Amino acid sequence: MNGKEWTLDLQAYVDGELEPSRRAEVERVISSDAEARELAGALRSLGEVVRSHEPSHRVPDSREFYWSQVRRRIQQAEATDSRRAAGATRAAGWLRWLAPALGVAAVVVVVFMNRRHGEALVEVASSGLEDAEGMTFRSDADGITVHWIR
Amino acid sequence: MAASLKLDYAAATDEQLVSLAKGGDADAFEELVHRHRDKIYARAMIMMRNEVEAIDLSQEAWVKAWQRIHQFQGESSFATWATRIVINLCLDQIRRQKRTRAESIEQMEEETGGVERHMPVVEANPTEGLETEDVRRRIDEALGKLTEAHRTVVVLHEFEGLEYKEIARRVGISIGTVMSRLFYARRRLATLLQNLRKERSE
Repeated sequence: MNGKEWTLDLQAYVDGELEPSRRAEVERVISSDAEARELAGALRSLGEVVRSHEPSHRVPDSREFYWSQVRRRIQQAEATDSRRAAGATRAAGWLRWLAPALGVAAVVVVVFMNRRHGEALVEVASSGLEDAEGMTFRSDADGITVHWIR
Repeated sequence: MAASLKLDYAAATDEQLVSLAKGGDADAFEELVHRHRDKIYARAMIMMRNEVEAIDLSQEAWVKAWQRIHQFQGESSFATWATRIVINLCLDQIRRQKRTRAESIEQMEEETGGVERHMPVVEANPTEGLETEDVRRRIDEALGKLTEAHRTVVVLHEFEGLEYKEIARRVGISIGTVMSRLFYARRRLATLLQNLRKERSE
């Protein structure tokens, strides 16, 4: 048994991550192949050495200075969150007023356009009704009138 | 009066301090920072290999820990929970910097080529006779000689104790790539530790 797949299987076995269906095969090879046994042993030893000697680093700043930096960043983050929250509240307040206002504006525009279209129809009718074809739809329920002219 | 009722933070357990911090007690949180700041900083330092970045990311981790402390339910120790935060920040930073792109050619050559079965033999106690701090320092140096991608999987597997699939998910690579990177990283580390032994015998 050689190759990449085998080597990675052996590593997975050592790490306890090999799927159960492959374990027996790897164990058989380890028991019969000195090279495989050596590799498994090397992987185990390396893992133990590295895990038991995790590098340590000490913060180069004093307790007070380090905490003052952390505290300042916390305060900045909280101030940013507060500004965002205030902005969102203001936007929500504006939207509460703006939405109905936009609705009213839309109605005004529709009515205005409706009148303009009416005038256009009159204009078209007066300038040459024989060349124009028109169709009108009126919805009393919605309070709108649509003129289709071509 | 209030001061006399205050808890002796230095004598409190992490659980007590967390509980107080959840209630908005910044002094309790400061004690937690003091207790675990070296571990958080060390993890960032091992990952990033840069003191300025490590300080910045460790401080950012504490900000996130304060903001999310209500999410900490005690499934792990507070230190483990905080360490996960800094690890995630390091991974985000690495992704932002796209350092892995510079290493991609080297990785592709390794990951698509045949994995050599041979690995330098690591003796049962390759660091025998060395002071613990010296061994830590030498392992740290060896980790610093790995590519960032290889170092990341070693840190996540050996120090964070994450399984292959969890490493794959965190780093955004396949499980096969995790296994390949871990093997190459270990082989390199074994070589570096073998050199350490040679140095000692000279």
